[in-house]
Amino acid sequence: MTDLTLRRVIKRYGDEQVVHGIDLDIREREFVVFVGPSGCGKSTLLRMIAGLEPISGGDVHIGDTRVNDVPAGKRGVAMVFQNYALYPHMTVRENMSFGLRNVNTPKTEIRQRVDEAAAILRIEPLLERRPKDMSGGQRQRVAIGRAIVRKPKVFLFDEPLSNLDAKLRVQMRIELARLHRQLKATMIYVTHDQVEAMTLADRMVVLRDGRIEQSGPPADLYESPCNLFVAGFLGSPSMNFLPATVTDHDADGVWVDLAAGGRLHVPRDGSGLSPGETVTVGLRPEHVRPADEGTLAGSLEVVEHLGDQTLLHIRLGEDSVVIARDEGRSAHTAGENIQLAFSGSTCHLFDGDGNACPILSRDAAIT
Amino acid sequence: MSNESTNRRPDTGRIVTLVVLTVAAFLWLVPMLWVLAMSLKPNEVLMHTTAGLLPVPFTLDNFIQIFDTAKVTRWFLNSVGVAVLMTSITLVLSSLGGYALARIPFRGARFMLIFIIAGLTVPEQAVFIPLDTMFASWHMNNTIIALVTPRLAVPFGVFLMMQFFKAVPKELEEAAILDNASRLTIFFKVMLPLARPALTTLGIFTFLYSWNDYLWPLVSATQENHYTITTGLASLQGNFAQSEGLGFLMATAVFASAPVLIVYLIFQRYIVRGIAMSSGK
Repeated sequence: MTDLTLRRVIKRYGDEQVVHGIDLDIREREFVVFVGPSGCGKSTLLRMIAGLEPISGGDVHIGDTRVNDVPAGKRGVAMVFQNYALYPHMTVRENMSFGLRNVNTPKTEIRQRVDEAAAILRIEPLLERRPKDMSGGQRQRVAIGRAIVRKPKVFLFDEPLSNLDAKLRVQMRIELARLHRQLKATMIYVTHDQVEAMTLADRMVVLRDGRIEQSGPPADLYESPCNLFVAGFLGSPSMNFLPATVTDHDADGVWVDLAAGGRLHVPRDGSGLSPGETVTVGLRPEHVRPADEGTLAGSLEVVEHLGDQTLLHIRLGEDSVVIARDEGRSAHTAGENIQLAFSGSTCHLFDGDGNACPILSRDAAIT
Repeated sequence: MSNESTNRRPDTGRIVTLVVLTVAAFLWLVPMLWVLAMSLKPNEVLMHTTAGLLPVPFTLDNFIQIFDTAKVTRWFLNSVGVAVLMTSITLVLSSLGGYALARIPFRGARFMLIFIIAGLTVPEQAVFIPLDTMFASWHMNNTIIALVTPRLAVPFGVFLMMQFFKAVPKELEEAAILDNASRLTIFFKVMLPLARPALTTLGIFTFLYSWNDYLWPLVSATQENHYTITTGLASLQGNFAQSEGLGFLMATAVFASAPVLIVYLIFQRYIVRGIAMSSGK
């Protein structure tokens, strides 16, 4: 059963269209993360599902019901906001029970549901406190608790961890994953933080300028991005892009000359490419390593020691910098000349329009 | 060490400022202390001299006399009635108007706001004659309705409340919408409790304004039993010969100021904040 369906959903503000015909099926109990840069329309899409933003075109179905004209409170969704949005003058218990009181739920049931949610989130000692007497993490727990007590069909999270410090963010991320397993609920989560997206999502939806660029399991998107945008957006540090020219292609892949020097065989389907065509080779930092003899050579500009790994920023030419990831504490120092080695089989290839060339099964080698 | 000794050295500029401020505050206070002292002295003494800030010899006769004089008590109660009614209705209208302008999109909202703000530019004296003519034609002068109604249009109040509601995070209201709350529930159970500081500020200002209001009650209430305390006191001062003496007059002045003083002392914090808010700080 599909729990939530978006069909050609459009959003316009005056003459400006910000969401362009989104089609999406979200299965029951799925944890879907909308991810994308600021202004890509991910929050607008979430707010349209919530009913906080009118839909300019298309349909939103929750279960079997078309909810375009159903008021937000009646859609059976609950939302957790970035700034918690707790009622400051109410205690935690009052905050959590407010929604239930509005639909005349019996007092005993309200108490029971609040106590249950508080136990799940381990916030029982906070029930009589007011929001101002709590930390950011505690407030966010209460905000989630307020959503849980309503037993919604769909949970919506709008960048809920953005206001927390880094350590708390990691903690809450784990809590949310645990909560998803425990509640077995459908969850839609908006974030611009790709680490959150990668770690939480069953399925990631990458948006740009109000359109879905790609959707699928996080690992699939990371390993097989459909275009330059998705490839560049996912991964930290981002994928390295090297301009290249197609010299030949055969059944085993595509031969390219890198603008920074070197010839490379990439096992990708190059049937749509012709010799002389400009393409982009994509290379993840973890697949590039310093070597005594490599394909590329450059000057080491910056060395970032991160403890378990070191990031090396190598300048290849005027406009070209490659980031390589070295395990542990790298012995290389800024200023030295360095050679880089990588396998063509780990490379991605994008045509002149930025679309990825499909992968071929066989390996290839650097020449 | 040297730093500590520098810090401990008395700051001459600060001391001079404090002395100047203390003297200025005392000079400002002298007339009030003088009134208080005279209100606590017998009339016979005041006929010889009004000098002195100490109430010697001391008497409470003047204050006792106020409660024996029915009309002063009546004026006081009139003022209480007008101030309480005006404050309550202003709070209701301003908060409703402010909320609508801040949060409910409707056609003509911008024009409405400009229209309301434009009300600030109209001097109250400019509309006294038409107002008086209007209430006279309705035979409503010398009624509490005539005293209160023209003062209920408070553009400042609507503006103050609108600014406050605009500052409340929108997500709070959206959370309430998702919590199945109706517009009225949101207003009464979420927004209004949050607006308590702004409502208190507006309430105090309205109460003080109403209590001190002189011109409109002077025009509207022409019969002695409809006077407010301000117009009543003025009538007594104008007929000093018919009054119960200077001590009594001073006692009525103290009596009339007492509520204002009490309100100020209790809500001092909100008044200071309100002045800061209205100056846009």
